[in-house]
Amino acid sequence: MLGDVLLITEKHLKAGEAIIEHILKHRKPKMMIAISGESGSGKTELAHVVAKGLRKHGIMAKPLHIDNYYRIHPLERTEWRKNNGIDKVVGPGEYDWDTLNRNIKEFKQGISSTGPCVDLVTEQIDQLTTDYSGIDMLIIDGLYAIKTDNVDVRVFIELTYHETKKAQVVRGKEPQNEYRMAVLEKEHQEVQALKPSADILIGMDYSFRLAK
Amino acid sequence: MLNDRITVTAKHEQAADVVIEYLADKLRPKFIITIGGEVGSGKSTLAYALAHKFKKQGVRSKIVDLDDFYKISPLERKSWRRANGIESVGPDEYDWGKIIHVINDFYENNVSVMPCVDLITDYVDEISTNFEGVDMMIINGLYATKISQSDLRIFIELTYDETKEAQIFGDKEEMTAFRKQILEREHEMVQGLKKGCDLFFDFDALVDKYHL
Repeated sequence: MLGDVLLITEKHLKAGEAIIEHILKHRKPKMMIAISGESGSGKTELAHVVAKGLRKHGIMAKPLHIDNYYRIHPLERTEWRKNNGIDKVVGPGEYDWDTLNRNIKEFKQGISSTGPCVDLVTEQIDQLTTDYSGIDMLIIDGLYAIKTDNVDVRVFIELTYHETKKAQVVRGKEPQNEYRMAVLEKEHQEVQALKPSADILIGMDYSFRLAK
Repeated sequence: MLNDRITVTAKHEQAADVVIEYLADKLRPKFIITIGGEVGSGKSTLAYALAHKFKKQGVRSKIVDLDDFYKISPLERKSWRRANGIESVGPDEYDWGKIIHVINDFYENNVSVMPCVDLITDYVDEISTNFEGVDMMIINGLYATKISQSDLRIFIELTYDETKEAQIFGDKEEMTAFRKQILEREHEMVQGLKKGCDLFFDFDALVDKYHL
């Protein structure tokens, strides 16, 4: 994603350190970490600090942002959702999992890979080509990221949109309105359903704990 | 640039308003704004604030960071500079041929392939953008105002000492004696470009830019 604004704070750094420690204990080649949580819960920030922190341990990790893989173009999404019914269409089905899985396969193979990359400023979908030969690890973040196949560590952020409404306004990504609230509620239900599959839970206060 | 961290403050917003007012009767299709100034002075942040304000006016702009166009990749640059001496630091480190090519693609509404540094991995990815429908290009970089196709040249003031501290806070590169030498040389070369500029800003970087 191009032109994204991250609000990285002490809590992300602290939770990130704990996740890194866990990763180092379970380290394996071409490892995959996934971070799920609701809109505004800090997934991208957490992915950023984890990937960056791993460099200090000699691990080359690349963040992969699932919001780049929406099937419907950003400029058409609102109308498409309204036409098809928010309750019916908002969920994992909105994403192009085939392309995502192809990019993941290419990461595993250590070859060059091309995938979508949204520019939030132009609202266009660019194409990003990455040479995965030197990349040791993928940090996948997105609402439903922990649904991805073959993930080694699943991280779930427990903050819900009720607590992060403020963060949404600060980020200024989208105007708050009735449509947005309906989408957030549906996403909330879909995301919370994934919680039982998590390995690591990041609490409301961003504390770290193991799920099982 | 992928995974760049941008913190927009009120000062950047105000500066963007000044630029927009200045351009009120000067805008024309396929407009190019260049933003020059030293490392850590706020070039990319102003680019971002500007692009968002233009977006609200229906002007679609693509931000291009000149640091994506270094001939030597980030992971090799330090040793390359050491091997070639401090005199090698300057505008010649950039691939101007490639930059001109991208500018021509912008003018001709082509799909353009550009290098794109991932600031987490320090690898150079490639990004492909369709310039069809893109009204404006905002190019930021140390020597961006050298670009002869610029319709507006913005210079951001920052004294060397401030840059040095911003470097440390910005966490982009750690400060070493050689790094300091490079900053001093870049300072001289960037200051040499000042007289050709149209608008000048000073964000007094340290006050509230880095909030960590």
